[in-house]
Amino acid sequence: MVMYEKQALHPLSDTLVSLDPEVYGSMFNLFEQIGIFWGNMTDATPCKSLLYTFMDGRMRLYPIYRVYYIQSGKILDALIKEMGNEKAYRFLFTDKKINQKPIETPLALVRQKVSNEFISLQLSLGGFKKFGADNYLGYIGGAYIPGEKPPYRIAKEQIHEK
Amino acid sequence: MKNKYDIVIIGSGIAAAALSQRLLKNNPKASILILEAGQSVKMQDSAIWQDLLVSGKLPYTKYQDLPYPTRNTPGQNRSAGRDVLPVDGSRVMTFGGTTIHWAGWSFRLKPEDFKLYTNTGHGIDWPIDYDDLEHYYGEAEEYIGVSGSPVGQNTPRKKGYPFPPFPFTLEDEPVIQAFRKLKIEYSNVPMARHGSTQTDSPHAPCKTTGTCDYCPFGARYSANNFLNEMMEWNRYPNFEVRLNSVVQEIMMKSKTEAKGVKFFDKVENKMREVSAKHIVVAGGTIESPKLLQRSKSKFAPNGIGNDNDLVGRYLLIQPWTTFTGVVKANPKKMQTVMAFPTLCTRHFDSKKEQDKGKFILANWPPATLPTTLSTMMQNGDSSRDIKKAISENYTVTINGQSEIFSEHRNRVYNLESKVNQIGLYETVVDFTKPAGFDHRLEEIKEHVQKVFLEMGAKMDPHFSTSIRADHASCTCRMAKSPKEGVVDKDLKVFGTENVYVCSNAAFSSMGAVNPTLTLAALSIRLGDHLSKSQKG
Repeated sequence: MVMYEKQALHPLSDTLVSLDPEVYGSMFNLFEQIGIFWGNMTDATPCKSLLYTFMDGRMRLYPIYRVYYIQSGKILDALIKEMGNEKAYRFLFTDKKINQKPIETPLALVRQKVSNEFISLQLSLGGFKKFGADNYLGYIGGAYIPGEKPPYRIAKEQIHEK
Repeated sequence: MKNKYDIVIIGSGIAAAALSQRLLKNNPKASILILEAGQSVKMQDSAIWQDLLVSGKLPYTKYQDLPYPTRNTPGQNRSAGRDVLPVDGSRVMTFGGTTIHWAGWSFRLKPEDFKLYTNTGHGIDWPIDYDDLEHYYGEAEEYIGVSGSPVGQNTPRKKGYPFPPFPFTLEDEPVIQAFRKLKIEYSNVPMARHGSTQTDSPHAPCKTTGTCDYCPFGARYSANNFLNEMMEWNRYPNFEVRLNSVVQEIMMKSKTEAKGVKFFDKVENKMREVSAKHIVVAGGTIESPKLLQRSKSKFAPNGIGNDNDLVGRYLLIQPWTTFTGVVKANPKKMQTVMAFPTLCTRHFDSKKEQDKGKFILANWPPATLPTTLSTMMQNGDSSRDIKKAISENYTVTINGQSEIFSEHRNRVYNLESKVNQIGLYETVVDFTKPAGFDHRLEEIKEHVQKVFLEMGAKMDPHFSTSIRADHASCTCRMAKSPKEGVVDKDLKVFGTENVYVCSNAAFSSMGAVNPTLTLAALSIRLGDHLSKSQKG
């Protein structure tokens, strides 16, 4: 019953202003580059609305994510300007220093609060398949409905009731 | 809020949900009040689910106990026994109780479990037997929506499971082959994850997302979902749930009859009283005895049902042991795909093993968030390195859950000088492992070693054992007489006319399997018993 449910909202959630489309676009570019770099998602377009819903959810729970996303867009723009698109994302995804905690630099913030979370999301949206499985923690492959094909790889031997 | 009810239930977990559902089925106008000390956690929320997905954070940890205090950390509760029995992480003090994070395993006890003393000389027999409960086991499986197969369970049953079992995963295949070679009978793990049951839940069945600690769909049975739906859809005019209501004591009007309960209303910030014809304590194994203990009066100077100092005693747990082995080469690229197991064996959950303590084994690949894949990508490993790591080897994890026997010295009681974040007294846990405990685990290890050997896996000689309070039970145990236990075969506290304990606390013993289905069966049975009493 709704009256008993504690709202999964931050007290500031209602005061949040929507992100500019450019920020969403910039974040989608980052998400898309994950699939390109690891070769595990050839077309990220079908995931676009799911990514935006994910971002909205993060901001709803933790309003500071609005700042993370805006700043990350700006930091990535500067990095790409300096290094070029491919080198910039390679640096973002692989540099060991910016993955160290605590977060002390703007790039560490992009890597740990945005890029790494997008990696987890991307895997759960199907990016895992290139690594050889049919199911993955967080993947919604379909309901387990008796009589229909299970949404995961099964053993040859099953118990059949007499 | 009224101040008079037919039945007041303290606690809002599966016992309260199944009991009230049955009472209301028998009489939709039944007057029932559920008092819950905690509050509600938002369920079926995509943002919370994704928070778990990317960071491993759960929304209800703030309603769990903290670890015991140490010299350098404050902590909660007190460990008073020779061995430390952690409470933290084992229960959730919130609307829906611990079903908000349980795993859904839904085993029946076996007939011999009800005859523990007769068969082994350990503990006591239950005052009821398997046949008394068989019908209610079936009803409980319908109520929580269990998927399973009777093959390998070896529990007599008049009806089949409501839903067919989750098929064994590909990761089960090598373990199945080893079991077959060793002639170990295996079975599906019966699971309450179907959602749509024939009672009060409209949820979709499991989507195997593997994020079972917080199911985004409500497929896994969770008492708060069912209670919400009962309030929302079923038009029960006299059914009420009050959160933030910490019951202080049960008030007696004579030596044998309770008149009601006194509780602290955390919202109104004041003490309140309600009267009831029947009072059911359904606060779990730790809080149920503590409430009886602190309900002291001139009629019950040691607390209700505690004339023989048995309330809170015979605390029992099930040790959980994790064995791992590594199989060289993983050509099928097997990975953890779900957060619950599909394969188990009850081969050692048998009369033959009962004297030493039965045990079950389950193949349960570790399902942790963040996953290995995400961690490797986040570390910047290349796609080639990740594929190589997955193909090189595969870790098999076999978990054992075993039976030990309850002892008088093991107990819980109120730590009256301290109150936790929920408003409940903290707990003193006095626990000492029984003699032979470690030796028995070594014997179990020898059985598991044979399984790994058949698989060609290299077993890690070190195994981990958890003796956490997850399946704690027996602290108000059901017995034939007040000399042996706290409640009778109808769960009524000895010496009272209208106080009941409906909880794992009322188990006489607990075998080697998870207790929740048995508790649901006992709760439905109590519902029928109380309905008859009301009519009578």
